[in-house]
Amino acid sequence: MSYKKTEIKKGITLHEIKTDKFKTNLLAVFLTTELNRQSVTKNALISSILRRGSKTLTSQEEISKKLEEMYGAEFDCGLDKTGDNQVLKFYIETINDEFIPKNSSNILQESIQNLLDIVFNPYTENGGFKEEYLMQEKNNIKQIIEGKIDNKARYALDRCIEEMYKNQNFGLYKYGYVEDLEAIGAKDLYDYYKQLIANCKIDIFVSGIIDDKLEEIIQNNDNIKALNERDAKYKMMELAKKEAVKENEVVENMDVTQGKLILGLDIDLKDEDLKYDALLYNSILGGSANSKLFQNVREKANLAYVASSSYLRYKNNIFIKCGIEIDNYEKALDIIKKQLTDMKNGEFSEEEIANCKKGILASIKTIDDEQDTQISFYFGQELSNKPITLEEYSSRVEKVKKEDIVNIANKVSVNTIYFLRN
Amino acid sequence: MQVIENLKVKEKLYIEKLENGLTVMIIPKHGILKKYIIWGTNYGSNDSTFVVPGETQETTVPEGVAHFLEHKMFEQESGVNSLDTLTALGVEANAYTTNDHTAYLYECTDNFYEALDEFMDYVQHPYFTDENVEKEKGIIGQEIMMYDDYPEWRVYLNTMQAMYHNNPIKIDTTGTIETISHIDKDILYKCYNTFYNPSNMAMVICGDFEPEEILKEVKERLIPNTSNGEIKRIYPDEPDTIVKEKIEQKMEVSQSLYSIGIKDRIVEQSAKVKRHLAIEILLNILIGKSSKLYKKLYSDGVIYSTPSIDYEFSDKYAHVMISGQSNEPDVVFESFKAETKKLIEEGIDENDFDRIKKKIYGLYVKEYNDVADISRMFLSDYFKGINSFDYLEEIDSVNIDYANQVAKELFDDKKMVLSVVTK
Repeated sequence: MSYKKTEIKKGITLHEIKTDKFKTNLLAVFLTTELNRQSVTKNALISSILRRGSKTLTSQEEISKKLEEMYGAEFDCGLDKTGDNQVLKFYIETINDEFIPKNSSNILQESIQNLLDIVFNPYTENGGFKEEYLMQEKNNIKQIIEGKIDNKARYALDRCIEEMYKNQNFGLYKYGYVEDLEAIGAKDLYDYYKQLIANCKIDIFVSGIIDDKLEEIIQNNDNIKALNERDAKYKMMELAKKEAVKENEVVENMDVTQGKLILGLDIDLKDEDLKYDALLYNSILGGSANSKLFQNVREKANLAYVASSSYLRYKNNIFIKCGIEIDNYEKALDIIKKQLTDMKNGEFSEEEIANCKKGILASIKTIDDEQDTQISFYFGQELSNKPITLEEYSSRVEKVKKEDIVNIANKVSVNTIYFLRN
Repeated sequence: MQVIENLKVKEKLYIEKLENGLTVMIIPKHGILKKYIIWGTNYGSNDSTFVVPGETQETTVPEGVAHFLEHKMFEQESGVNSLDTLTALGVEANAYTTNDHTAYLYECTDNFYEALDEFMDYVQHPYFTDENVEKEKGIIGQEIMMYDDYPEWRVYLNTMQAMYHNNPIKIDTTGTIETISHIDKDILYKCYNTFYNPSNMAMVICGDFEPEEILKEVKERLIPNTSNGEIKRIYPDEPDTIVKEKIEQKMEVSQSLYSIGIKDRIVEQSAKVKRHLAIEILLNILIGKSSKLYKKLYSDGVIYSTPSIDYEFSDKYAHVMISGQSNEPDVVFESFKAETKKLIEEGIDENDFDRIKKKIYGLYVKEYNDVADISRMFLSDYFKGINSFDYLEEIDSVNIDYANQVAKELFDDKKMVLSVVTK
């Protein structure tokens, strides 16, 4: 495995990950831009309208047919909120030429061309996106936004984040707002799109069996040639300042069988390097089957099937998640809070720390064994003020001591308690 | 050990049936750090009525026992839970139950053999007490309620209810809060002793291993045991007909979830893989991403994402499922039916067929990227009497005439159901 990063033009980066571990090649283009209320809905629409067709493959049907012909190459796109950025992600996954029965064309090269066409050379009519496509994608986005309620556990988490970040960009829903859709016209959106691709951060990832000419191929691609240099407008990951807040309790009613309890915690860190300590803190609190939450909420009190926590490093938050009997709300909350107090008092052993480290180190080691995880890791480093290699990542984790974790515990406070019930 | 090589994906399967009846399959993956092991028993939620080897009377147990047993296997006499022990070694351990098998597994980079000690020990040593069985009812109760809130799960189960009169595929894997209340330690031991016999089990290992070496390590950790003979499983007779054409449930969702079910006939073992492949090709041609029907439904605002397509089968059931979200599930259903008629009348377009066949081939190749996917695939196919490589080998033999023939057999309005979760 080898990783190489090249600046194609200012603000446009090519990431080459040479690896022969997979049957597939994975290509990705990420467009990173600042998250804000004015453009969140437009960006969501752009991510969905671009998959409708390029100048060369003018409809979804044509794109699909082309990819199917390439032995099941798959196009996919996604939309992420990464810290205070909105990231539009486009992928094509193909099988390696080695596994293609009758090898006629260079599938990787063809996919690069197709993917860059989809992202940078969209199908247009009369100087705008096609009206019909826009109308359909507005409905599509509307349904995605309204579909927020369909997965109740996910909804509860989204709502907790929304409550914690009221009137802040990070509180925005990544697919935007239904009321903003109406006013967006086909020509306006296309103008906005041109502005977006002229100013956003662009990362191109190619992972798999790659020949040495890749950089040249990308450099000579007409779409890439047409792009300007830029001072990309996006947010590097900064340490989010945490104001002391009064614990906010939000209860919402919906037709659910089981109550979904989410606790949003703030961690007030002054130094980027403390994030590794926070990672260990979360692992002991709710990151595994040995964690305090799993052991106490599930195994001892038998209140839940799911009892866990996850660490959102970009914003320095921890989210605790439990699915419980509605009547057990107080009981569960008491047990959870007791765990937070125990963490502050250092009531965990050296052995627990060592065990958590093993789990985290194993997951770092397997990053190279998963193509999409690998891309996510390198992209994460792109947005970090203190980028690290996988080896450094492991050694940082190894160095964390008990007092570091207790130190984190004392910087943790409950920001919001959110409960979804019937 | 028998070695089966597949030249298309360039992978090898080492397979051996041990004296005690256990089948071990090893797929070496050199240069990959991740190691994966999965050990399964051919016992799932479908197996509620059976004859214990050596007995003559039938035994019927409450719904949800296989899954309950899976939860309780981690409990050890020492008081230490095996899941905790494995997690402490830095390995990721888990287990799951389906309608036809239960599986225990872990994934790791280091400490593989330390974990193997614990892993093989706990699967071979059940420890159930009244107290530990009772406490699990609260946890599983919450798992059942969690699934009750998943509209995808409700729409799936309702599809089964609409298709099947008696086959246990229609019941919930976890059972219900009522059925699990009847489970006690004696029932668990009885099921364990019946189904967790090596002759009813299989193990798959994938990662950077030397096959002979890892096989030796596995053998050393097996406790003496002999094959307990055939387990007679009793399934109720299932008519060919469906129960009802449409089934609806209300939930708080943004738009309806639908699932179209097509009850298929059960074919002989040797024809299963080929039929499965033909069905995948047919469904992609009919309602896949490049299909005319998808294009039309998308333009009309009826659906905004390609439906997921599944074919589930065993010796006792076989059905297709097409599911997704739509504000007009009836339109999806009716236009799908119309499209199948057209396809039967006009026959499959040759270009579509060739193109989709290439796509399906590529999808099977991609299954060989990840040690976890590979292991799980080989295990679940094994319990269906299938070697997973067969899909890559048999796809060449699926031609357009065969696919046309399958279409005629499969697409029958009288065998189709629609399940909807509405708002």
